[in-house]
Amino acid sequence: MAVITAAGLSKTFGSRRAVDALRFEVGKGEVFGFLGPNGAGKSTTIRLLMGLCRPTAGAVAVLGLDPVRDGAAVRRQVGYLPGELALHPRLTGGQHVRYVARARGLTGLGFADTLADRFGAVLDRPVRTLSKGNRQKIGIILAVLARPEVLILDEPTSGLDPLMQTEFERLVRELADDGRTVFLSSHELDQVQRMADRVAIIRDGQLVVTDTVAGLRQSAPRTIEFAFTGPADPGWFSAIDGVRVTGSGLRQLTLAVNGPVAPVLRAAAAHDPVDITARPADLDELFLAYYRHDPAKEPADAR
Amino acid sequence: MRADVTRLDLRLRRRSLLGFTAGMGLYTLIVVALYPQFKNSLSLDQLTRHDSAIAALFGATGTLTSPAGWLNANIYANFLPLIMFLITISYGAACIAGQDEDGTLSLTAALPLTRRSILLQKSASLAAQAVLLGAATMICVVAGHGFGLAIPAAHLGGITIAVILAGIDFGLLGLSIGCWTGSRGTAIGIASAAAAASYLISSLAPAIGWLRPARYASLLYWSVGNHQLTSGLTATAFAVLAATGITLLTLAGFGFRRLDLR
Repeated sequence: MAVITAAGLSKTFGSRRAVDALRFEVGKGEVFGFLGPNGAGKSTTIRLLMGLCRPTAGAVAVLGLDPVRDGAAVRRQVGYLPGELALHPRLTGGQHVRYVARARGLTGLGFADTLADRFGAVLDRPVRTLSKGNRQKIGIILAVLARPEVLILDEPTSGLDPLMQTEFERLVRELADDGRTVFLSSHELDQVQRMADRVAIIRDGQLVVTDTVAGLRQSAPRTIEFAFTGPADPGWFSAIDGVRVTGSGLRQLTLAVNGPVAPVLRAAAAHDPVDITARPADLDELFLAYYRHDPAKEPADAR
Repeated sequence: MRADVTRLDLRLRRRSLLGFTAGMGLYTLIVVALYPQFKNSLSLDQLTRHDSAIAALFGATGTLTSPAGWLNANIYANFLPLIMFLITISYGAACIAGQDEDGTLSLTAALPLTRRSILLQKSASLAAQAVLLGAATMICVVAGHGFGLAIPAAHLGGITIAVILAGIDFGLLGLSIGCWTGSRGTAIGIASAAAAASYLISSLAPAIGWLRPARYASLLYWSVGNHQLTSGLTATAFAVLAATGITLLTLAGFGFRRLDLR
């Protein structure tokens, strides 16, 4: 059963369409990465999942419940970290933790203490005196505190140093292994590649692709560079499906190749190549192509 | 009903609330302590006795040097409502719209609470702030018995309840506008303008004939402008103030339900 379902989910603010007919499902125990450039609609989608704003059209369900109509019931089982975390400046991290714990009906704070130790969070000083990274640690503790069934995290590692980012990745993996579902948005591609089971990319409010990381990697273009003894002609490869010439010199050609390489090698062999360099699938390049809305670089089978 | 949100908001406003309350209490004690100096001043009485406009502007009830007139002119007709509205309107505008603007509302909105519960808890915080200021002022006035300022307990209690209710009403007006617009500035602006208009109507209506019918639209008239210190709080006035609060709370509920939070 899907833990999170969006079906034709749309939201407009005035005349601006923030998200448009989103359709995706997230299964139990899955880590789902939600990627997109700034302003693509990631945070709006997350606010819709949390019931913080109402959809203009379509439907969304979290654990089978409507986040607007059954908001309290949904949020009882969901931990949330907003993208722009704002804490009360005069309160300490500990006071924030106790507030959330009381409101969630938690009796013990043992897990919060464990998390604070693990992340080195400062809980005894007013939030206004803390760095962004230290505030973010408090936000992570507040989201995970009640060990919710679902975690919805908007740019969770923003401001964290690399050590803490790694610790956070470990925490997410442990929670997922424990059967909890994690929906996280980010624009840090490397991190999402490492953490997510599946990835969705949103651009201009629309989903452009949803796939596993392995599936995306398969559809990402490989780069092949040839050096020839004589002048190289880009036209030699123009008739081959899934091949695009991305660079050319007097005796060199660089190709982006989707699909089998045999036709490329056959075409190259006819022109006496003297050297060949092949690089593996470049997922970053694929993501950036989606981000930039560069249809020529997007593999057709992943769209 | 849980009170975590109420407690948090009271904690966040603790310093300013205690500061305003202490300041109001100190001012009240000074006014009370000065009464013996003025209670036999004939010239002060003549200032208002023959000029209804001056009496109206002072908010004087009967003679200015009577206990009720002295308290009305110096505390209940102007200064206490001013401080009360300052506290309640600023909180009403900040507790939903302001916290949404600065992002801190998401901490509460992500909790397993219905919007109705959040709204009721914030309204409880608003009421607690109004009660603290009103009660502190009343206690300081009671101390005035020692300075010859004797006011019947029922009348003093009545006007205290009325000022508290008016404060809650204007706070709820700010809260409601904040829930409908999501803008703290708009909420403060409109609620403050309504409070100022209410004050002007209530204070000038006795002196300006054509304005007199409009006094029924003024919450200040129903709370402090209708001889409450000398005649007590009427059931009609109480009903108007309470019904206004319930109506504004209901409107805030509708607005908050449809407000998109950040």
